[in-house]
Amino acid sequence: MKLLTHNMLTSHVRGVRPGGGFPLRIQATEVKVNNVDFNQEFVARMIPKVEWGALLEAAESLGHLSDLPHQLPPEYENNEDFLRKVHHVLLEVEVMEGILKCPDSGREFPITKGIPNMLLSEEEET
Amino acid sequence: MSDIEEASDTLAEVNLDDTLKPLTENLESDPNSSLKDIVVTIGATVPTGFELTAADEVKEKLGSQSKISKDRGKIYFEISLEKLSQVHRLRSVDNLFVIVQEFTDYQFKETKEDTLKDLEDLVKKLPWTDPLKVWKLNTNLKKKKTKHKKQNQQSSASKEKLNDDGGKDRANQKDADKELLDHAQNTPDLKSAEQNTEKTQEIIVADDQSDGKDEFLTITGNENQAGDCKKGEAEDQVLKFRVTCNRAGDKHSFTSNDAARDFGGAVQDYFQWKADMTNFDVEVLLNIHNNEVVVGIALTEESLHRRNITHFGPTTLRSTLAYGMLRLCDPQPTDIIIDPMSGTGAIPIEGATEWPSCYHIAGDNNPQAVKRAANNICSLLKKNQNKESGTSWGIPIDTIQWDICNLPLRTSSVDVIVTDMPFGKRIGSKKKNWDLYPACLMEMSRICRPGTGRAVLLTQDRKCFAKALSKMGHLWQKGHTVWVNVGGLHAAVYLLKRTLERAGEKRSYW
Repeated sequence: MKLLTHNMLTSHVRGVRPGGGFPLRIQATEVKVNNVDFNQEFVARMIPKVEWGALLEAAESLGHLSDLPHQLPPEYENNEDFLRKVHHVLLEVEVMEGILKCPDSGREFPITKGIPNMLLSEEEET
Repeated sequence: MSDIEEASDTLAEVNLDDTLKPLTENLESDPNSSLKDIVVTIGATVPTGFELTAADEVKEKLGSQSKISKDRGKIYFEISLEKLSQVHRLRSVDNLFVIVQEFTDYQFKETKEDTLKDLEDLVKKLPWTDPLKVWKLNTNLKKKKTKHKKQNQQSSASKEKLNDDGGKDRANQKDADKELLDHAQNTPDLKSAEQNTEKTQEIIVADDQSDGKDEFLTITGNENQAGDCKKGEAEDQVLKFRVTCNRAGDKHSFTSNDAARDFGGAVQDYFQWKADMTNFDVEVLLNIHNNEVVVGIALTEESLHRRNITHFGPTTLRSTLAYGMLRLCDPQPTDIIIDPMSGTGAIPIEGATEWPSCYHIAGDNNPQAVKRAANNICSLLKKNQNKESGTSWGIPIDTIQWDICNLPLRTSSVDVIVTDMPFGKRIGSKKKNWDLYPACLMEMSRICRPGTGRAVLLTQDRKCFAKALSKMGHLWQKGHTVWVNVGGLHAAVYLLKRTLERAGEKRSYW
C-alpha cells in the first residue's frame, strides 16, 4: 500500500462520526522502499488532490518524514527539491505488512503483502 | 531483374482499390525505393465495437488514417515499411496481418467446383512479393526481441525439451533464418526499428508468460538452434505454412474448410512450402465476408489480447478490451483511476502500463481475485526489473480488498472509474444484479469527482443497468455507448459523466 493510496482511504464502520474515519493510523511491521521514476509535473499536480496533513502524519509514522514542511511552500510547482521529497513519500514508500486503525472506532484493518483488507462484517456495515 | 525493380513492379499491383482511399503517400515508387518508400496495407482485428478507438490509436501512434471494414472488428491502414515495428506498439489490436490483396466485389462462380478452382488459380496471380518482404522483416524484428528476452530470463524446462526436437527440416530453416537475421542487421533502414524494439519488447515477453506456451516453444526453439548453427549456408528456405480461412455470408457454395484446403493446396504448389498446421512460419489468411475477399499474411503469432496477465481468473478481460475502455475515458495526467471490481486486475494493469502518469487502484471483495491481481502486478514488476540491475522499480498501481457497496474511499476523491461489471452469468447472478447495480452506481457517484469525473462500465446485463441508471440522472449523465461482443455475449460499454451535483450522503465521511 503506497501512501498516496492511504491518503484516500477512510474507515467506513457504522457509527463513525463524519470525517472521523480519516486518516487511518498506520502501524507498520514491514515497509518497502522502491524506485519510481520521478515525474515532476505529476507530483506537482497531485499535491492539491491530497490531504497534506494526513500525508505528513503517515510519512512520520513510517519514519519517512525527512524534512517535509508542515505548510506547503509557496510556488512549490517549481521547487524540484521539495517535489522529489513528496514524490518519495507518495509513491516510493510501501507498507507491506501492518495494520490500519480507525481513529474513531479503533477498528483495525490488516495489511498483508501490501494489500489492505477493508472488508467489514455485516454488523459493522452502515 | 533487380530486387528493387521487382519490388516496384509488384508495388504497383499491391495497392490499392479505390475504396481503400489511399492517403497522400506516393504509390509510384522509383527504382531507388528504400524501406521508407514502400507502403503496405496492414489489417488489424480489434474487439468488435472498438474499431473507432483503434483507428484513433493508429492515427495517434502511426499517423495513418484507417478504413473500417464492413466485416466488423477489422480495420485497415497504410504505413511505410520502416514503421513496421511500431505497429506492435498498438494496444487496441488483437491480431495484425499484412494485406496481399483485397477484392471488394469478388464474383464467385456458380458451382462449388468452379469457385474453388477459381480460388486456386488466384494464388499465382497475387502480388506476394512485398507482403512476404513485410513478413520477413516482421519475423526478424520478433527474433531480435526474443534474443533480448532470452538474455534476461531464466531458462525453463520447455526449452530444454525443444533442444531435442531438432529435425532436418528445422535445421534447414534455422540456417535460412540466421541468414535473414544477418541480412537484416546489415540493412541500415532497420536502425529506427531497432530503437523501438526496446519498447516493443514487453509485448513479446508478456505473450511468453501468458497461456501461449506453444508460441514460447516455437520462438525459443528458433533461437536456440540459430545460435547453435555456426554455418549458414542453406540458400533455399523450406518454409512451413498454413492457411486460415474465415468465411461469412449466405450465398457461398463452399465452406471455409473447402476454401482453406484448396487455396492451401495451390499455395503449396506455387511456393513449394511445406504445409504444417501447428509449426508454421507463414500463416496465410483468407477472409471472405459476402463479396469482400481479403488475402493476408499474419504478423502476430497469437492474439495480443492476453498480454500483461499471467494469473487468470474466471472472467479475465482481454487486455485489448481493457485498453479500449480506458481510452474511452480519455485519462489525463494525475487522474486517479480505480476499478472497484477489478478481478484479476486486467484493467488497472493495462492502465498502469499505458498511462503511467495516472494513478491506478484495483479493488475486489474476493480474496482470490485480489491475490491474482497482486501476482499479475508482481509479474509486471519483474518484467520491468529485467532492464535494470538489482533495484526494484515501482509502477503507479495499488491493490485493495474492499466491498464495492461500501467503498473505504473519501468522497469525491477519484477521477475515473473503469470496470467490468458482473454479467450475472459467470459471476454473481441476474437476481443479485438488481440490488447490486443501483448500490454500485450510488457508491461510485459518491467517490467520483463531481463535474470532471467519469465512468466507463462494461456489462451484459443491459436491462438491469438501464433501470439502475434511470434513477440517477441527477448524478450520472449518459454519454457514448459502445456495443461489444464479449465471449459471445452481446454487451455494452457505457460512458458516464459525473454531474456537478454532490452525492447525497446517507453516511457522510467528509
